[in-house]
Amino acid sequence: MSPTVTATAVDAPPARRPGRRRLRRSGLAALRWGAAALFAFPLYWMWVTATGPKGSAYRFPPRILPGLDYQAFVTVIQGTNWARYMLNSTFITGTTILLVLLTASLAGWALVALPLKFRGVVFIVLLGTMLLPEQALLIPQYVVNYHLHLLNTYAVMILPFAATSSSIFLFRQYFASMPTEWRDVARIEGLGNLRYLWRVALPAAKPVVFTVVLLTFIASWNQFQWPLVMTQNPAIAPIELALNQYQQSYESQRLINAVSLLALLPIVLVFAVAQRHIVSAVAGVDSGVEE
Amino acid sequence: MTVLEVAEPVSPLVGAPPSSPAHRLRRAVRPLAGYLLVLPALGVLIVFYYVPALLLFVISFFHYHLGGAGSSFAGFDNFRVLFAQPLFWQSLVVTGYYVLVMVPATLVASLALAMLLRDGIRRSRRRKGGAAQALIFLPHVTPLVATSLVWVYIFDPQYGVANDVLRAFTSHPPNWLFSTHYAMPAIEIYSLWHSLGFYMVLFLAGLSNIPDRLVEAARVEGVRGFAAFRRVIFPLLTPTVYLVTVLATVNTMQAFSQIYTLSGGAHGHGGGPAYSTTTDALLIYQTAFTYNHFSLASAMSLILFAILLLLTLVQRWGFSKLVFYR
Repeated sequence: MSPTVTATAVDAPPARRPGRRRLRRSGLAALRWGAAALFAFPLYWMWVTATGPKGSAYRFPPRILPGLDYQAFVTVIQGTNWARYMLNSTFITGTTILLVLLTASLAGWALVALPLKFRGVVFIVLLGTMLLPEQALLIPQYVVNYHLHLLNTYAVMILPFAATSSSIFLFRQYFASMPTEWRDVARIEGLGNLRYLWRVALPAAKPVVFTVVLLTFIASWNQFQWPLVMTQNPAIAPIELALNQYQQSYESQRLINAVSLLALLPIVLVFAVAQRHIVSAVAGVDSGVEE
Repeated sequence: MTVLEVAEPVSPLVGAPPSSPAHRLRRAVRPLAGYLLVLPALGVLIVFYYVPALLLFVISFFHYHLGGAGSSFAGFDNFRVLFAQPLFWQSLVVTGYYVLVMVPATLVASLALAMLLRDGIRRSRRRKGGAAQALIFLPHVTPLVATSLVWVYIFDPQYGVANDVLRAFTSHPPNWLFSTHYAMPAIEIYSLWHSLGFYMVLFLAGLSNIPDRLVEAARVEGVRGFAAFRRVIFPLLTPTVYLVTVLATVNTMQAFSQIYTLSGGAHGHGGGPAYSTTTDALLIYQTAFTYNHFSLASAMSLILFAILLLLTLVQRWGFSKLVFYR
């Protein structure tokens, strides 16, 4: 490796002139960042719109830099039930995550480690819901919820999502990959099945727990059509549904964008922290299960 | 469990002594233990997914009123009514338009993005390219209503950025969401923005499975640039192409929230203007929850179900001829 070659050009084949290659590479980098900027723009625009001075959303030319005016957020938080909706979404999401972890780890564990007559059938039934298109089930699901007296309750936004095929699948795969010797040792030590699951298997399955928490968080926090159909009471509305109702009031773009940003914030924060894990979790589940 | 046999003199603290009631109870429960643990998950899935799936068939063939009272068997009446409705056929056309634009556009754009990002990621060891990937993926996890609202503003014919830019090229920029011609393209642009990052990541995963030595070998043979892509990379990528096609079809056929929000769901019931964005999902929603025709909505759902099943089978058959690497 010659010392004059810059670090970025190390793997360039010697046949090509380095100048042209560098040009091509910086062109590609520019394209890459252009694409990234294009995708980030709408989120940036929410911020610009929400923090601009009153009325600036309706002026030409538009402001292109975010302002420092956070009055819109104050107006929204004080003037509406926004804290309530945030709390609703937090409660619904938190409870769903806990329940999914419970049902999925138990079921995943049973599929791997416990005597189960008709294991194959149980397996197919547990994973089969992934093949059912959600839009097609909405009407009969409404009818079922009606008969169970679940319409218009928090429970209707939690219980139907308290078990998901994908999370059961993830836990089963992970538990199946764990060495069976651990279990034998634990049995000799007098650790029962459930205590083994709780003390050994679940802590060892931390990556899956993390994945399931993230996926459930995203799905639950973002749910809209389900609460739109299944609930009418604004007091229990999660944030996405409340946003829809807020839009109805023909508020100014500044306020609407401030509210949208508030709804978006938890997702973006979690994404900022666990970005790589989220990407592989979201892409991994859909592609892995499809096989 | 051979280990267990070796360790025969188990400590007396383990378990209850034989033939005690506790021991007998444990014995009786043991074969059921698996079912006890599976039960919570099984219960939820059966009650909220499998029972509705069966109910879908029942409701579709009944004149059904919510609660069941006054319902009667209808045979194919619901389907006959549907087939006589121009709006039903129009919703299929609108859905077809949406899907036929979205699926090819998704394939081409997400593959192009993946090819663009691939080099950056490999070279910079996931630093620079990683950040670009994160920014492109981020929209996919954002809530649909919250981010649709800013797009409503972006597409605003008068104050939106889209037309601020377009006015540099034309004096008559489109009315976007207020126009029967441009409302659907606007929704498609939003949907692509929201989903491309996801499919791009699938393609990136597919690309990372292609051994470097194959591309390297092609390069030695003088195959580079687009020829290398067409003759080496793309054939090896067909499993991912299949996966993305299936997922994109299933997801776009069922799109609801962004269409509802962008077409003014909060002010009416969505699908406007003049039903130009009323896809099957929106029509099902309106039929059931605006007009209370549960049977008709159910029959439509059943048709949607059948179409999805058919498309999946056709795609599987089509790709079985195409995919020669798995």
